[in-house]
Amino acid sequence: MAAKDKMERLLEALHEAGGLAEGTAAKVAAELGVPEAQVYGAGSFYHLLGSPDSRLRVCTGLSCAMRGGRKLLALAEEAGMPVSECSCLAACDRAPAMLRERSVLVDVEPADIEKADGDWRAVQGSELPEDWRGRVGPDDSELPMNLGGAQNFTGSALAKACEMGAEAAIAAIEESGLQGRGGAGFPAAIKWRAVRAQASNPHYVVLNADEGEPGTFKDRELMLRRPDLVLEGLAIAAYCLGASDVYLYLRGEFRGPWSKLEKAIEKYSEEGALDGVTFHLHSGHGAYICGEETALLEALEGKRGMPRLKPPFPTESGLWGNPTLIQNVETIACVPSIIRRGGAWFKALGATEPGTKLYSISGDVSEPGTYELPLGASLDEVAAAAGGYEGELLAFSPGGASSGFLPASESGRSLDFASLSKVGSMLGSAGVVVMNTKSDIRESVREQLVFFENESCGQCAPCRIGTRYLREALDRDLQGSPSGKSLAEVAEVAWEMNEGSICGLGQAAALPLTSALQHFPNAFGGEKS
Amino acid sequence: MSETLRLNGKDVAIVPGESVLELSRRVDVEIPTLCHDPRLKPVGACRTCLVEIDGMHRLVPSCATKAAAGMAIDTNSERVVRHQKALFALYLSDNVDAAETDDTSAPSELHAFASKVGAPTTWPKMQHKRFQRAGDRNPYIEYRADRCILCARCTRYCEEVESVSAITLAARGSETTIATSDNRSLLDTTCELCGGCVDVCPTGAMAEKKPLSLSLLPARELEKVRTTCNYCGVGCQMDLNIDRMANDGRGVVAKITSPDAGVLPNDGNLCVKGRFAYQFIDHADRLTKPLVRGEDGELAESSWEDALRIASEGLKRVAARHGADSLSFVSSSRCTGEENYLVQKLSRAVFGTNNVHQCAAT
Ligand SMILES: Cc1cc2nc3c(=O)[nH]c(=O)nc-3n(C[C@H](O)[C@H](O)[C@H](O)COP(=O)(O)O)c2cc1C
Ligand code: SF4
Repeated sequence: MAAKDKMERLLEALHEAGGLAEGTAAKVAAELGVPEAQVYGAGSFYHLLGSPDSRLRVCTGLSCAMRGGRKLLALAEEAGMPVSECSCLAACDRAPAMLRERSVLVDVEPADIEKADGDWRAVQGSELPEDWRGRVGPDDSELPMNLGGAQNFTGSALAKACEMGAEAAIAAIEESGLQGRGGAGFPAAIKWRAVRAQASNPHYVVLNADEGEPGTFKDRELMLRRPDLVLEGLAIAAYCLGASDVYLYLRGEFRGPWSKLEKAIEKYSEEGALDGVTFHLHSGHGAYICGEETALLEALEGKRGMPRLKPPFPTESGLWGNPTLIQNVETIACVPSIIRRGGAWFKALGATEPGTKLYSISGDVSEPGTYELPLGASLDEVAAAAGGYEGELLAFSPGGASSGFLPASESGRSLDFASLSKVGSMLGSAGVVVMNTKSDIRESVREQLVFFENESCGQCAPCRIGTRYLREALDRDLQGSPSGKSLAEVAEVAWEMNEGSICGLGQAAALPLTSALQHFPNAFGGEKS
Repeated sequence: MSETLRLNGKDVAIVPGESVLELSRRVDVEIPTLCHDPRLKPVGACRTCLVEIDGMHRLVPSCATKAAAGMAIDTNSERVVRHQKALFALYLSDNVDAAETDDTSAPSELHAFASKVGAPTTWPKMQHKRFQRAGDRNPYIEYRADRCILCARCTRYCEEVESVSAITLAARGSETTIATSDNRSLLDTTCELCGGCVDVCPTGAMAEKKPLSLSLLPARELEKVRTTCNYCGVGCQMDLNIDRMANDGRGVVAKITSPDAGVLPNDGNLCVKGRFAYQFIDHADRLTKPLVRGEDGELAESSWEDALRIASEGLKRVAARHGADSLSFVSSSRCTGEENYLVQKLSRAVFGTNNVHQCAAT
C-alpha cells in the first residue's frame, strides 16, 4: 500500500479495531507502518473513536434540549446505562435524539428508556434507525431539489454538461449565482474555475456531508431522498474539473444517508451512468470541526482534524496537496437542475439572493422539517411552511449555533447571506431554531457555548481557551454573581476570538453569548430562576 | 536591486524566501512567538505573531507568511497590540502564576512575553482540563500539564527533527494535551530520551526531573557556560547551567541545555548522554589525576609526565619481549576523529602492529 493509502485507511482501521481501547493504536500502527503515537493522537481527536462506541449518547443540542434531551440523559443515568452527552446529531426535527453505537434514534421518550430495563442496547426510538426521515415540503416538481419528489436519475444533466463542454457548464453555474450552502456563501463558480485552471494533476472533488452545525439537517434529508441529485452533481463537477476521484465525507452518525448513497452509487454505476468517476465513501468519527473544509481534508488524510492555515486554499492545495473542489451537499444538489434549465432560471427562483434554499427548521414550530423556499424567505415565512409557531416567539437562531440569537422583532428579516450579516449574524447553514417565551435564553446560550467548547479542535489559543473562558464566565453568572462582574471580559474575549482564531469555529463561537447579551440583556445577572 | 517592503513605516530589503517574522527579527523588530522554532515547519497555531498587512482582511501569522515586495506590514498597530494583550491574558488565565515558574526548568517565554506586551493579569483563573499521565517512570523527563500551552513544539520536534514520534497531541478542545500512545511511560515508546522536548518547551511544561527535585536557583539565575560535549567525536555544542552557590559554594551543574538552533555542528540538538548524563562531573569516583600502580600493587597519584613515561616503557618492554603483534590498541568512543587517527598512527607507525580498534566501531 502506498503511504497515502495507508494514511487514508488509518481512522477506518482504528474504527474496525474497536476504537482506542488499550493496544489498538499499536495494532493499527503495526498494520499500517505508521508511528503509534500518531495513530493514538489521531484517534483520540474523534469522540466516536476516543471513547469507543459501547454506550448511549444523548443529544444536548438546542432543539433536543428543548424537547427533553436532558431528562433522557438523567433517566438513562438512573437506569445505570453507560451514557454521555453528545453534540447535535442533525436530527433536530425528530427531537429528542440519541445515539446508540452509531445509530441515531429519534423521538425518544422517557418510556423508551424505562422499557429497556437497564439494557442500553435495547433502547429504541420511534422508528428503526435505518428507516426514519424528516418532514419536507413543499412538493413541487419545478423546484431544483424538490425533496418530495422521487429519486430519478436520468443522467440528462450530466449528458448535457458534456455536450456543452466544461467552460459553458461553469458559465451556467456562474450565471445561476449559486452560493455555497455549507455556511460561507462563497460563489461556487469561482472555485470550479480555480480548480480547473490549476496545471498540476490530479484534481479532486470532495463532498462535504459532515453536517454538524447545530440545528441543521438538510443535507441528511437530501442524501436520504435525493441521492440521485447529489451523485449527478458530483459527476458534473468531476467532468468540468477533469477529476476522476470523488470523495464523500459523511459524518459518522449518518448510517442512513450512507447506505442510501452507497446503494445509489452501486445502481447507477451498474447502469454505466457514472463511468469514469470513482466514488470514495468516508465516514467521520464524531468531530464537528471536520465540517470545516481543511479539517475535513486532514481527516481524509487520516490525521487529527485540525484546520489548516489559509492560504493556500484547497482549490490550489487540497487533498494530498492537489487542487481540490470542496462543496456542500446542497450546493452540489443544485447543479443538475442549473445545467438542465439554465443559470438564469435558477437565479430567478430566489427572493433576495439567487435560487431556492433548504431551510432546516426546528424548535417551537408545529412541523419541524426541511423546507425548500426562495432564498431570502423570512423567519415568518419559513415558520409558516412548518405549520406555524408554537407559542409566542421570543428568539431564534437563523443559521446554526455559529449565527447566535436574534429577537422576535427580526422575524420579518430576509434569511439570506447579506441581510443577516448586516445584523451581526449569518445565514450559515440555514439551520433555524425557533424559541418561544417558555425558553430560557441563558440556558440556551450555555448549550451553544458547551458545544463550541467540546468541538473546538484545540489547536489555537483564542478558541481553545476562549470558548472555555466564556462558558465559565456564564456559569459564574448563572450562579448568581452580578453580571457586570462575571461577564466583565466577555466583550474583549469575544473580540479576540474573532480576530485571533484560525478558523470559522473560533471566529464565531462567542456569538451565542454576545448576541444574547445584546438582544436580551435582562436575561443575565442574578441567580437562575 | 533587491525588492523591498514597508515594515512599521520603514523600507526594508527582502531576503528571498524569508518569512515576515524572519525579516522582522533580522532588522530587530520584535514579534512575540511561542510555537515557532526555526527547525520546524511553521504552523501559526499560537497566534502570538499575528501582524497587520495592508489589504489583508484578517491579521496574519508572520511565521507562516512569506515576505513579498510591496507589502506594508504593521507589527504594533492598535489592533495588533489589542490582540496581543487579550491573547496573552487568555494564556495567563489558563496557566500557572508567574511566581510558580521560578524553578530550574526553562524561564517561561509565555510569562516574559505577556509582561512585555502588558497583558492584564487579573482575568479569572480557569481550571485546566489537560490530562497528565501519572508517574511516568522514565528517569529524565516530566510533563507538567498545568504549564502547557499546546504550542506543540515538543511533538513537532519529536517528529520532524528526531523522526521518533514518541509523543503526540491527544484529545481535543480544552482537553487537548500531550500524550504517549495509551499513556505509557516514555520508556515503553520509541522515545530515545534525547530531551529535545524539554529544550524546545517555552514554559517548562516539559521539564527535566532531576534538577526539579533539588533546591537550586531558578533557571534565569543559572550561569550558562558553553562547552563541547565529550561523549563522542561529533563535537556538539552545549551549555552547562551552573548554580555557583550550591554545594557549599563549590557550584554544581544544575542541568545542560542546548544552544540556540543554528549553532553548529548540532543545531541545538543533543542526545540522551549529552543532555542527561552529566552527573559524572561532580562524581566522587571520577578520575581527576593520573594513577600509577606501584610495586605494592596499589594505585597512587602521579604526574602526567611520570604516568606517560611508565606507560610507554611498559608498552615498549612488551613489544621487545613478545613482538609488536602482542600489543593491541583500543581507543574510546569519546575520542575525536583526530584522536583516533593518532591512536592508529601510534599503533601502526610507532609500534608496527595492525591490532587497532575503536570501541564504537562494532
Ligand atoms: C467550524 C466549521 C464547520 C463547518 N461545517 C460544515 C459542514 O458541516 N458542512 C459543510 O458543507 N460546510 C461546513 N463548513 C463550511 C466549509 O468550511 C466550506 O466552506 C464548505 O464545505 C464549502 O462548500 P460550499 O461552498 O458548497 O458551502 C464549516 C465551516 C466551519 C468554519
Ligand atoms: S479556531 Fe478553534 S477549531 Fe478553528 S483552528 Fe482554532 S482551535 Fe481549532
